[in-house]
Amino acid sequence: MRLSIKLVIVLLVLIWCLGIFSEWLIPFNNKITIALPFLHKTYSLVCHQIKTKLITNGSYETMVCARCSGIYLGSLISSIALIFFNFRKSLGIKLLLIFSAPMLLDVFLYTINVYSYSKLIAFSTGLLFGSVGFLYLYNGLRQLFVELNSGKT
Amino acid sequence: MKKYLPSIVCGFGAGVLQIVPFVKSFSCCFIMPIAAFLALILDQKANHTIGRILTKKAVYIGLMTGIFAAIFGSAFEIFITFITRQNDIIAAFPDLQRMLDTFPITEDIKREVLYLFQNVRTEILATGFSWIYTLSILVNNFIINLIFGAIGGLAGSQIINSRIDNSQNNF
Repeated sequence: MRLSIKLVIVLLVLIWCLGIFSEWLIPFNNKITIALPFLHKTYSLVCHQIKTKLITNGSYETMVCARCSGIYLGSLISSIALIFFNFRKSLGIKLLLIFSAPMLLDVFLYTINVYSYSKLIAFSTGLLFGSVGFLYLYNGLRQLFVELNSGKT
Repeated sequence: MKKYLPSIVCGFGAGVLQIVPFVKSFSCCFIMPIAAFLALILDQKANHTIGRILTKKAVYIGLMTGIFAAIFGSAFEIFITFITRQNDIIAAFPDLQRMLDTFPITEDIKREVLYLFQNVRTEILATGFSWIYTLSILVNNFIINLIFGAIGGLAGSQIINSRIDNSQNNF
């Protein structure tokens, strides 16, 4: 995949991640406040936004829960790493299942009250899943460009 | 019409899960990608194909699922708001006022934000409809669902194709 495409992907994921932390950017630009309710609505399509599960810093909160924040930041890390490394391996569902297992286990264990919800655990398991999940998206995009360039129908 | 059926079915499901009160509390970032993935599987079953799926086709099905999810989701949300004259904006308005007090922002900005949302709130409470709210719903639903649908299509095609490759290698 061309470097310019990789950079565009990083930029798009970065914009999405900045949106998650938009409240935290208010001290730098007050006008972000006007967009907050709309951004909140936008991110509500991809996350339950339960107050107790959001990452907080004083009065600022993330737009998505700790787990989703981890997933998207994991994707951002992977997208940056893929600028420097070429990844051409075919991926089966097994890898995705292995890396989503900690996340699913965490959801299961706190749901049956083995322990209470921990933002740190949710964030780290999300980060693990997001960083691997992005590889599937990257592979798909790579394949798509190959098909478009070869004019396959 | 038949070729859009998997996208319509899965898009409808995703639209409901994203919008309907109570059910929407289970909403998460997997809904749209999973809906697109299921649409790919349904498409293969409907066409009785067992071969590799083209990424181009997978993205197309993902995008169509996103479009139908956005259509159904927006329609449900606008209809529910119209009938109940209640929605997220109205429910979150007291929180918004409290939140604005805690932010280090100028009085002008605070007044501007409250004026904008007070107008939306008044319109919805009076008529059940607000142009600003409707426009924001449509823009949000179409952009997000299309992107996440395409992501689901891309990732889904990788999983389906690798499964097919594995079974062919084993054979």
